Amino acid sequence: MLAVRAVGLRPAIRASGISVMALRATSRGVKTESITTTDQRSILDKQRLNRPSSPHMTIYEPQITWYGSIAHRITGVGLSVGMYAFFLSYLAAPVAGIPFDSSAVVELVHGLPEWAKVAGKTVFAFPFAYHSLNGVRHLTWDSTKLLSNAAVTRSGYAVIAGAIISTAALVMM
Amino acid sequence: MISATARRALLAQNRQLLRSQFTPIVGGRARWAATSSSGTPPESVYVPGGPVYKGSVNDPTPFPTPSKAHGSHHWAFERLLAAGLVPLTGVAFVTSGSHYPVLDGVLALSLIVHSHIGFDSVVVDYLDTRKKPVIGQVAKWGLRAATTAALVGVYQFNTNDIGLTELIAKVWTA
Amino acid sequence: MSFATGIVARQCRRSALGLPRAISSSAKASLAQPVPPEQPPSPQAKPPLIKEFKIYRWNPDEPEKKPSLQSYKVDLNQCGPMILDALIKIKNEMDPTLTFRRSCREGICGSCAMNIDGQNTLACLCRIDRAETKDTKIYPLPHMYVVKDLVPDLTLFFKQYKSVEPYLKNDNPPEKGEFLQTQEDRKKLDGLYECILCACCSTSCPSYWWNQDVYLGPAALLHSYRWIADSRDSYAAQRKEKLQNTFSLYRCHTILNCSRTCPKGLEPGTAIAKIKLEMAAE
Repeated sequence: MLAVRAVGLRPAIRASGISVMALRATSRGVKTESITTTDQRSILDKQRLNRPSSPHMTIYEPQITWYGSIAHRITGVGLSVGMYAFFLSYLAAPVAGIPFDSSAVVELVHGLPEWAKVAGKTVFAFPFAYHSLNGVRHLTWDSTKLLSNAAVTRSGYAVIAGAIISTAALVMM
Repeated sequence: MISATARRALLAQNRQLLRSQFTPIVGGRARWAATSSSGTPPESVYVPGGPVYKGSVNDPTPFPTPSKAHGSHHWAFERLLAAGLVPLTGVAFVTSGSHYPVLDGVLALSLIVHSHIGFDSVVVDYLDTRKKPVIGQVAKWGLRAATTAALVGVYQFNTNDIGLTELIAKVWTA
Repeated sequence: MSFATGIVARQCRRSALGLPRAISSSAKASLAQPVPPEQPPSPQAKPPLIKEFKIYRWNPDEPEKKPSLQSYKVDLNQCGPMILDALIKIKNEMDPTLTFRRSCREGICGSCAMNIDGQNTLACLCRIDRAETKDTKIYPLPHMYVVKDLVPDLTLFFKQYKSVEPYLKNDNPPEKGEFLQTQEDRKKLDGLYECILCACCSTSCPSYWWNQDVYLGPAALLHSYRWIADSRDSYAAQRKEKLQNTFSLYRCHTILNCSRTCPKGLEPGTAIAKIKLEMAAE
């Protein structure tokens, strides 16, 4: 490098856009490659395509936050599927020639054994109670209240407890 | 001290020298072309949710066209409807049977709309058309068809039969 | 299935700050009884406390090999108290190929974010559970593409951060001096400006897991609100306008894993709820 300085090459090197580091590298016989942005990108993309996605649902700790949330969705979907099924059947039954109206349904339920009635009521009442109570919890959050971690945990368990009690009350009605 | 003109001449000369000597080091593009089989780098295809992203690392992610109907209005409608369902459910069950069949109809209608928004949310979350072009479309239009049919069903059931609340009440005590 | 309560979950972070301090006394030296110098405990004094760490490994140089958990046994009596200490010890003494990001080791740089025993947190702020019988599992941040071992690709995360324009925008700067702000206005930024972008919250969010290509995620949205809430910024309306679509903001279903996991004790969930309410009120 001293030699370079002596002949006054340094400003010229700078002007020519070649780094002094590159010069040093050549003198050691090590070559660096400068590649275009497109090439860099395609090398990177090739590497990216190999990358695995890290595990998520299976390793994340069960917490009241997301378990409560997925329960809200499952109960909601379950109730709605039931309701859609009923109204669609009511519409389709006459076409298929099957008697399906309120009296037929009531008649059918009437003929069931007691345990089946209780089980059926529970299957309907628990999702309804949970989804309703947790829905109110969601509306509270949407008004930006009770959003602290402690409040979220507390209300989460309160909703589960409330849903169990409500289910018992509804089934006994 | 050399004159400015002489200095400039020397610099130009040096630059010339350097260029002739060192250009091969920076000629990476040519080397790539020689080693890659096709001659041009393979273009990576963007797949939504895939490991390859649109744009460079310095480009911000883009936003879709703003639409309040899909944004805040949708959100507010969903919340108001949900909040309305709380008193509506109570009142509809108390007045169940005979006197106020309209209330029962409103409850059933609201429940269908509430369900539709919920289903739609599920479809967009898990089966959006950008990721599942075929299943996504089937789910989206299947849901719309089902909701329309369910609304017709509600109308039929509430005009020709006893209505939702009375049905549940009767089944419950059957 | 057991739900961990918030108290248990926080324990590993709180205890990190609860170190006892030495107490200085102003009593006269002459009053003190001479105390024989205590023998420093020899390194052999404590029996080894062997803890098993199971760490996610994937090497980009062998892409055909599937990711796996590798087990390391560390003597906790020869190791610092934090998960990061154990990781550094493993890298220094057992396996130099183990790859992870770390820098400040005091919870301010956000580099060492990872999933430790099922929770996203900073390795440097998370105490090692000293129960010998239980192993500790360490994974990279969930549902991210893995560059190597515990290093996730955060490119998209930072592209999303950039998209919310995280800087002051105001076309009418004050004629003289700096922007002034009331104390109340300044208070609105507390709980927002402290975010260090470690990506723990976004990668704990199931919505972000499924839709991260279009949903901004809690971290970027918290930063969006940080500027919406700033009295010195005059672009709040435009910032909110950009979020008016199905995905960017409204894929948030208030699951609240974000607030639960934040190693800095911030509440991205609250910030998002505030954006939604403000936008609905417009």
